[in-house]
Amino acid sequence: MSDRDRRSDGSRSLPDRLEGRLLTLLAVATSATLVVAFYYPVATVLIEAVRVDGGVSLGAFAEILRDPFYFGEAARLFAGESPTAVARDLVSPDRRLGIVGFTAYQAALSTVASVALGLPAAYLLARFEFPGRRTIRSLTIVPFVLPSIMVAVGFVATFGRNGTLNAVLGALGLPAVDLLFTLEAIVIAHAFYNAPLVARVTTAAWESVDAGAVETARSLGAGPVRAFVDVVAPQVYPAVLTGAALTFVFTFGTFPIVLALGGFQLATVEVFVYRLVRDLSYAEAAALAIIELVISLGVLLAYLRYEAQSAVRSRGARPLPRKPLLPSTPTVREWVSRVGLAAYVAVAAVVFLAPIASMILASVTGGDGALTLEHYRFLAARQRTAAAFQVRPWPAIRNSLGFAVGATLLALPMGVVVAVLTTRRYRGRKLVDAAAMAPLAVSGIVVGLGLLRGLVFGVEVAGWRVTASGAVAIVVAHAVAGYPFVVRTVAPGLEALDRSLVESARALGASRARALRDVELPLVWPAVVAGAAFAFAISIGEFTATVVLATGADAYTMPIAIERFIGRRLGPATAMGVVLLVVTGCSFVVIERLGGESRGL
Amino acid sequence: MGSEESHAPVAVELDGVTKRYGDTAAVDDVSLRVREGEFFTLVGPSGCGKTTTLRLIAGFEAPTEGAIRFGGDSVAGVPPEARDVGVVFQNYALFPHMTVGENVGYGLNFADPPGGVTRGERVAELLELVDLPDAADRDPESLSGGQKQRVAMARAIAPGPDVLLLDEPMSALDARLRERLRVQVKAIQSELGITTVYVTHDQEEALAISDRVAVMSGGTPEQVAPPRTVYREPATRFVAEFVGDNNVFTGRVVGASGTADAEGERGGDGAVDGETGALDDGARDGNETAIEVDGERFRVGLGDRDARTSPGPGDRITVCVRPEHLRIGGGRNRITATVANAEFLGETTRMTLDWGGREIVIRARDPLSGEVAVGFDPADAHVIGVESE
Repeated sequence: MSDRDRRSDGSRSLPDRLEGRLLTLLAVATSATLVVAFYYPVATVLIEAVRVDGGVSLGAFAEILRDPFYFGEAARLFAGESPTAVARDLVSPDRRLGIVGFTAYQAALSTVASVALGLPAAYLLARFEFPGRRTIRSLTIVPFVLPSIMVAVGFVATFGRNGTLNAVLGALGLPAVDLLFTLEAIVIAHAFYNAPLVARVTTAAWESVDAGAVETARSLGAGPVRAFVDVVAPQVYPAVLTGAALTFVFTFGTFPIVLALGGFQLATVEVFVYRLVRDLSYAEAAALAIIELVISLGVLLAYLRYEAQSAVRSRGARPLPRKPLLPSTPTVREWVSRVGLAAYVAVAAVVFLAPIASMILASVTGGDGALTLEHYRFLAARQRTAAAFQVRPWPAIRNSLGFAVGATLLALPMGVVVAVLTTRRYRGRKLVDAAAMAPLAVSGIVVGLGLLRGLVFGVEVAGWRVTASGAVAIVVAHAVAGYPFVVRTVAPGLEALDRSLVESARALGASRARALRDVELPLVWPAVVAGAAFAFAISIGEFTATVVLATGADAYTMPIAIERFIGRRLGPATAMGVVLLVVTGCSFVVIERLGGESRGL
Repeated sequence: MGSEESHAPVAVELDGVTKRYGDTAAVDDVSLRVREGEFFTLVGPSGCGKTTTLRLIAGFEAPTEGAIRFGGDSVAGVPPEARDVGVVFQNYALFPHMTVGENVGYGLNFADPPGGVTRGERVAELLELVDLPDAADRDPESLSGGQKQRVAMARAIAPGPDVLLLDEPMSALDARLRERLRVQVKAIQSELGITTVYVTHDQEEALAISDRVAVMSGGTPEQVAPPRTVYREPATRFVAEFVGDNNVFTGRVVGASGTADAEGERGGDGAVDGETGALDDGARDGNETAIEVDGERFRVGLGDRDARTSPGPGDRITVCVRPEHLRIGGGRNRITATVANAEFLGETTRMTLDWGGREIVIRARDPLSGEVAVGFDPADAHVIGVESE
């Protein structure tokens, strides 16, 4: 039987041993990339905030905390005033919230709006059967791949003074409204982004409720409402809370939408950090960014603690049966619910479709209201005649595509390796997961600023001056922003794979890396491709870090170009937005075709 | 007891192996030796540590303490792919994205086919061996459970492993198919002479298929012995009750084996007189003793226990009697009990009797009811353990 030599570690050949260690090598490379591209740059920014004249001081924090400009009435609390006096002023009508207070306020409003808009969608998707249900369910992924600056253009085209909303109102003989640069516009735009997220996680939870549990409750004497309250709601509402917590964190750190729709008069923390960076007040910017980070992480941690306590994710053996949307002989109650749903669908159609439709419409509408291609022609002409300081369309498109390809090539292996590492069982796995997911929580401005000052301006390493070009820094920043999405699409697939498949391959002689290549990756391939499409789309749409890094004329991307156009020429901005829409639309098709539907986020 | 009949070299040895997860030991100080060509089975209820033991041998888990040796060499730190083991899982774990032929040939990416044949020949040879000669191009998902199990077996054997590890490979199949397949598995194992470690919770399967069986409980083997020994001479109460139906009694020794001296020690005990006749029997074959269980007296055989290991008067003793040895209206030790429950199983009827609050299991051809007299012969009682006073 022993005709095959047993290979002990010592006698294995070098390539064998390298292959055995391949996963370790990749893990080390991924960690190194994260340190260079994320932890080190972010650390330099954070250190900046506490370093004063060579010493360490928390003065910058104290100043911000006590400044009513940032914390409104609450700042007086930090300054030592009595809480009762502060509380009295906070409830008075002319209270000041400060920038941080306003940011939290708009995030809270946005969260409420997103949940309100998302829950009926979840109800519709989880409990009803109708043509196109699957398509709409998979369309809820769209916000993740839509560049926020493009959404902002869509909202300007909808709610602006000459936008479609006013055109419709005018046609109906109603007075025009100007929603642009108002809180309402920001909240609606945030709902556009986050309501599908709420709908998505809630639908998934609702679908995993076991019909048997509801039937048991009914057989034990609970009526339909009672069964919903006692059995369905407890399983669905943690998902709603997940959606709400994520929405709050995302909207608390919002940047491009507020920059485009609110300007500096409705600035959130992130926008103001950007302004401070532009004004070269790095220390204050860093301190403010840290305060923002602490608040975001605080909300996330509080939520995660809650989730850990109440994690009862049961895999529904048999999901609740879906009801037909149009019953053959509807009862009064069914009529009421159908009318309610119809009203909801109308509102949702306006919120979700109007911005995109308006943007496309605006891109082919001239100043006189007639159809025209003049905005696209403007882009072509600008390409030929632009002055050195002006944005040319073609390099923006070329850069966007190039950066996206580069970022995807970097993010994909990083994401796969982290997905493998976080789906294996070992002590400290949660820590690895948290460290690898940190880029999701840290503001893009901070990452961009750190890369700018840490790598682009150069850093001294053992006597060598290491510098990276802006383009390289942008690719790296995009990869860091995009790879968590690769992890989030690939990891659930790996998690769901039967462990004995890998073990069989290993017992048959495959190394860990070889088993990954031969067995795991082929089986989760759709998720890998979907993850790649995610990374590509995130890179294409990334604005925050790019706007900080795109200093030279050589490194601007489509979103940056749109931002430059948006204030002055809405037409070309919408035309550029349409180009961006086409490119991200293509990556969405890839995600959709390759089964991103049921995976991850 | 547990004598190792084979004297072939040791293929796999576990030496004081412990595996802890946090504070609980899944495998607790296990020492086992599996000889070359042996069919060795780990059997026990779920959670007894049998699968963990198999995973330790395969290298999927590392022991917390102790050493595992293959052919005398420690395999500590050797990854599964370098151990030359073949593993078959309960769910077969066929690679769904490969054909049956690709599955069987997968291990040949990392080792040359044994016997100097080509890869294709080896795959064909193995599919032939498991009786699926035309399945090479089929999709694993199109196979039945039994066919998948055979493909998994062929895949594990293809690279010519030193040790075959089977983790409940038949649990997912229906009873009839399981019986047919285990004959086939045993035949293949004998034909190849491959050292095999088999994990199952099914004691009947373990008895049917193995050269030796380790009955495990609480992470430790309670007995390691050939199937017949495990069945007839269970070493512990757990083994007696886990392997097959059994009636276990605990009582006190009231007479010693054979001699009048031993009886004399009992002194003025009024029971002595009544025992005299039986004592003579004991004296005749010299290998019996009298015990008292709940006031009832039995004579039980002591097997080949010598004077040193034989129980003395007053010792606590545990004995077992198989249902098939309890005969209605027969046997030298008799009791009268009431039928509490009868299950007609076809060839026999399994009945539970109530004997003064104790449960006794017997087998008979036809169901009975009411009071029955049952008995057993001393030689059919097996002494599991003795505790001296």
